[in-house]
Amino acid sequence: MSKQVSDNMQINKRLRKRYRREKAFKGSAILALTLAAVFLVFFFYNIINQGYSALAQAQILVEVHYNEASQKSYRKAIDKSYRKIVSRGWLRTLPLYMEDHPEVMNTTRHEWVVATADVDQYLKNKPNRLKDKQKRQIDKLQEEGKVQLNFNTNFFTNGDSKMAELAGIKSALVGSIYVLIVTLLVALPIGVMTAVYLEEFAPDNRLTQIIEVNINNLAAIPSILFGLLGLAIFINFFGVPRSSSLVGGLTLALMTLPVIIITTRAALRAVPHTIREAAYGLGASRWQTVWHHTLPLALPGILTGSIIGLAQAMGETAPLLIIGMMAYIPDTPSGFTEVATVLPAQIFTWAGESIRAYEERTAAAILVLLSLLLSMNSLAVWLRKRFETRW
Amino acid sequence: MNTTKINIQDLKLWYGKEQALHGINLAVAEKKITAFIGPSGCGKSTLLRCMNRMNDHISSCRIEGEVTLDNKNIYAPDVDVVQLRTHVGMVFQKPNPFPKSIYENIAYAPSIHGIAKKGVEMDELVETALKKASLWAEVKDKLHQPGTALSGGQQQRLCIARTIAIKPDVILMDEPCSALDPIASAKIEELMDELKSEFTIIIVTHSMQQAARVSDNTAFFYMGNLVEFGETSSLFSQPQQQQTEDYITGRFG
Repeated sequence: MSKQVSDNMQINKRLRKRYRREKAFKGSAILALTLAAVFLVFFFYNIINQGYSALAQAQILVEVHYNEASQKSYRKAIDKSYRKIVSRGWLRTLPLYMEDHPEVMNTTRHEWVVATADVDQYLKNKPNRLKDKQKRQIDKLQEEGKVQLNFNTNFFTNGDSKMAELAGIKSALVGSIYVLIVTLLVALPIGVMTAVYLEEFAPDNRLTQIIEVNINNLAAIPSILFGLLGLAIFINFFGVPRSSSLVGGLTLALMTLPVIIITTRAALRAVPHTIREAAYGLGASRWQTVWHHTLPLALPGILTGSIIGLAQAMGETAPLLIIGMMAYIPDTPSGFTEVATVLPAQIFTWAGESIRAYEERTAAAILVLLSLLLSMNSLAVWLRKRFETRW
Repeated sequence: MNTTKINIQDLKLWYGKEQALHGINLAVAEKKITAFIGPSGCGKSTLLRCMNRMNDHISSCRIEGEVTLDNKNIYAPDVDVVQLRTHVGMVFQKPNPFPKSIYENIAYAPSIHGIAKKGVEMDELVETALKKASLWAEVKDKLHQPGTALSGGQQQRLCIARTIAIKPDVILMDEPCSALDPIASAKIEELMDELKSEFTIIIVTHSMQQAARVSDNTAFFYMGNLVEFGETSSLFSQPQQQQTEDYITGRFG
């Protein structure tokens, strides 16, 4: 009897200890989660806070003179007092504009035109290089309602520019999409077919084991080495144009391949063996078994893995550095072989600029990249849900 | 009058270095139910899988000897495995319908083998298969619902219907009732009794009562050897071998 009591006490003591441990474990997990959440919130707050002002751009209401003289020398299109506060980049476009629109010749129009980056920063109460005289001029114009912050359409319709007020993300965004298409078209079929072969067809021998180990190792190789590989193979050997979205996409495809192969193999392995047996038992060939049964069942996993791999490739910069995509490329590419840059490269380029107006553009470009990646990840989730409930 | 459907001659099988079957000789009679019994690991499932060459998918597996189906060696180099499996269907231990509709489950194999065309012909084939598997009454209103939503016993009958649909000569059943409750098992047993007028059935089972109830002939295996083979009634009432007697009286296994 007394032994039983002491046993019970012993058990109770241990039980209390176990509960204490459980609490401590749970507590540390919650702490880690909170910490991660705080970092995330801080990061988003910081980026959004810095980036949202790039969506507005200072514009000035000026008289624009369209005539022979201003076509020859664009500076003459506006009054002298405005020449220091109106964007020179915009002025330069006037002669061409007049050539294309002869109907505006010999007229004088009141137009809202892009102000210089310094005026823009002054209006946003940020550091700028305006002289006191110009500041007084802007203050006066503001009282008259002739200067204001409008929605910055240039940011979405222009490519990069050395004049911050005109710089936009369009060329980088289009470049990113081109690169992504190439990566997808190259990496997805090759990756999935490789995985299917290794998982369903390959005999289990020394050679396949070596291939397997090497594929797993490839996934852990620093991405800049893939850039060197791309340079050596695609540019030097195959002569693919340097800085083009084609070479960028091919290089990133090399980088994404191991990720796609590994996730596809995992997805195939998760399909129950009984399904394969059922198909074989009914006289389906190996290929029919894979194509009709295993692959469709593994599809949600394959899609998720591939999209996450592609999103990773989209945020990659290091390999592109080596194949010449990290450069000042203001023109939007209109084909796969034209020079292009990508969003992360654009962010990097802008982050290194000394002019203050690029700072907010850097943050805004980060926001665009992040929302693109987030939407890709949500697409992955949506696809998985959709294909899982199909049967 | 018993005609031999499948004849196994001196069949030896190795998994890597381990020998799983030691020279089996066995003749399976046509349109009868033959039961394979024996303790776990005795090689009865392995032998079953030799008859539709499912062991081909195990790379370490090596086979010697002959298995003839209608006097033709199924391990001859000119035999096509896909062709063979349309003659020798298989039902597995765990019900494994495809995650598709009931209709698609049955129509799949006939469509890949080109047995029936899509449309009325296929509809009829599906109906006949389901009727033969005595599942038609239960599922006729939900043919396009997923086969995986059925109960375990219904799923197993769906798998039998799926096998019947390719019109095989032989149906191999690998412990078809081991995952089912007694009532569902009884239904499968009833079904087997109906099916034997048309098909040669070989069943691997752990339940000696089941073997005694459904089979015409029974083979008892132990450690990769065929110990005794004969008519079920005589094997269970007057076993010739000591090992058989020990096993069926429950002294080991």
